[in-house]
Amino acid sequence: MTTCRGGGLFLLAVLAPAAGRAQALQNATLRRAQQAYDNLEYRQALAFGQAALRERLAGAERARAYEVVAFSYAALDSILKAVDAFKQMVLIDPERQLDPNRVSPKAYSAFDVALRQVLLVRQLRVDSTSFVAGQGAVPIRFMVTQPARVVTRAIGVGGGGGPANFLVDSSAWNGQVNLSWSPRLPNGDPVPAGSYTVVVEARLGQNTFSASQQIRVTHGRVDTLPHLTSLPGYQYLPETEIPAQTWRPLGVAFLYTGGALIGTLGLESGSLGASSKRELGVVGAAALVTGFVMTLRRPAPRPAEGNILYNRLLTEQIARRNAEIAKENVARRQQVQLTIGPSLKTGAPR
Amino acid sequence: MSRGGWGGGGVVPVAMVLLGLGGWPTGAGAQHLTVAPQAVLVDYREVSSGLRYSGSGFGGVATGHHGKLSAAASVVRLTLDPTDQSTAGAGFKATQLDAWVGYDVASHASVEVGILRRTADPEFAAQSLGALRVGVRSTYDLGPGATVSFRVDYLAAPKFSGGGRAAFSIDLGLGLDVRLAGRLHGVVDYAFERVNRKTNPGGTGEIDAPIQQTLARLGLGIGF
Repeated sequence: MTTCRGGGLFLLAVLAPAAGRAQALQNATLRRAQQAYDNLEYRQALAFGQAALRERLAGAERARAYEVVAFSYAALDSILKAVDAFKQMVLIDPERQLDPNRVSPKAYSAFDVALRQVLLVRQLRVDSTSFVAGQGAVPIRFMVTQPARVVTRAIGVGGGGGPANFLVDSSAWNGQVNLSWSPRLPNGDPVPAGSYTVVVEARLGQNTFSASQQIRVTHGRVDTLPHLTSLPGYQYLPETEIPAQTWRPLGVAFLYTGGALIGTLGLESGSLGASSKRELGVVGAAALVTGFVMTLRRPAPRPAEGNILYNRLLTEQIARRNAEIAKENVARRQQVQLTIGPSLKTGAPR
Repeated sequence: MSRGGWGGGGVVPVAMVLLGLGGWPTGAGAQHLTVAPQAVLVDYREVSSGLRYSGSGFGGVATGHHGKLSAAASVVRLTLDPTDQSTAGAGFKATQLDAWVGYDVASHASVEVGILRRTADPEFAAQSLGALRVGVRSTYDLGPGATVSFRVDYLAAPKFSGGGRAAFSIDLGLGLDVRLAGRLHGVVDYAFERVNRKTNPGGTGEIDAPIQQTLARLGLGIGF
């Protein structure tokens, strides 16, 4: 009895959401079974659950009834019967998943054993994706509960409007399976746009199980690349720079004026006497004053050769990259962008 | 005594040829052209220290630069009077034409050729002179719109109105071009001219008759 109560405490946590769902159950017997289970009255829950199964139930409610029965058997330590009830449940609802952190280990192990005793294809997922035809694939994921020969197909409209059947994979698998489908026709063209059904069929002896998912394939133009105006991380540099302020202008004025003075003194004729320095004084003073003023003034910007070369190189790189982009855009305009969007609708077991 | 051909009409055609060869930058491709009226200060000595004149004048200068070529031409009208220490009895007037065509051989250096022609009025009040110039010029940018230059020209094949010869004649100069505001330029130039003229009057032997002149041109011009 302690074990039952212990299991019940676990199940209480698990079935807390189920308590809410009990309100939504249409079948009165199943609703009473759920309430009895919620009140930890497992024998009564088992009786009501089995009674509900004898009545006409919709698929979801029937799976729910098997689940209540399975949990009740697990709580009552009837593991084999719990496994049988779980098997019935997953055959009706193959996507049903229990959280091992929230259900009792006994119930979860019974559920896990049940999964491995029936052939199921579960959790079929076709991820949304978009790629250029011929340069990508559609990822397909699913789980097979037993080792089986698994054939995966995509069925849709053909190039002429008739049905088309594309074999994606045919192999022996067990457990998690990850496949990729390159949606192309035998001639290499992309498959026509439209709705497709991805069908996964597992066969083990006489047992077969299949699951399917609708996907939609649309065609679009491949985005062309914009032309570059700059390279990321590389900026144009100023092509002029202001040199540091120096005394060079005044020094040069001194040098030139001194050269004229020395030349004049050196070339004067002895017989003619010293020449007039008035003329040199006027011009030399003007040169020195100009040199002094230019020394105080902010120097004029001068070309920065290194930056000019760098900018030229950068411009050439951008032009080269733009030429490559233009060439690539020509190719892209001839390509087809395939967009695959899955629907959540899955097929029923067969 | 032979009269020099430069004193006649020979110099001007030579100047025109030189300017034409140099590609005088008056076209749209000219990078820089300056035209300026000028005031002139002058000091002139001849033969001995007693023959000295001082004066002033006016004139005009045009300079241009196009690529590696540059050219300049200046004409001044001078009025010279004897100084206080001069033994000369009267002054005279002179007209001087200078022209250069230069070619840049380095960032701050150019070679140049040109002419010099100076005529005195009255004709025999002073020596008229004509010569070819061959020299070098160094130009340096002091700052935005300011250029200073220093030149040394050898005066080749000088001709004098009074005859004679000069084995050594040199002309050196200091120039400054400053953009004062907008297109307004200040253009000043100093020139020192030394001519070791020798004459042989009456065939009695050569005697020295040197010529020395200092000239300052001060002008305000328009740059294009």
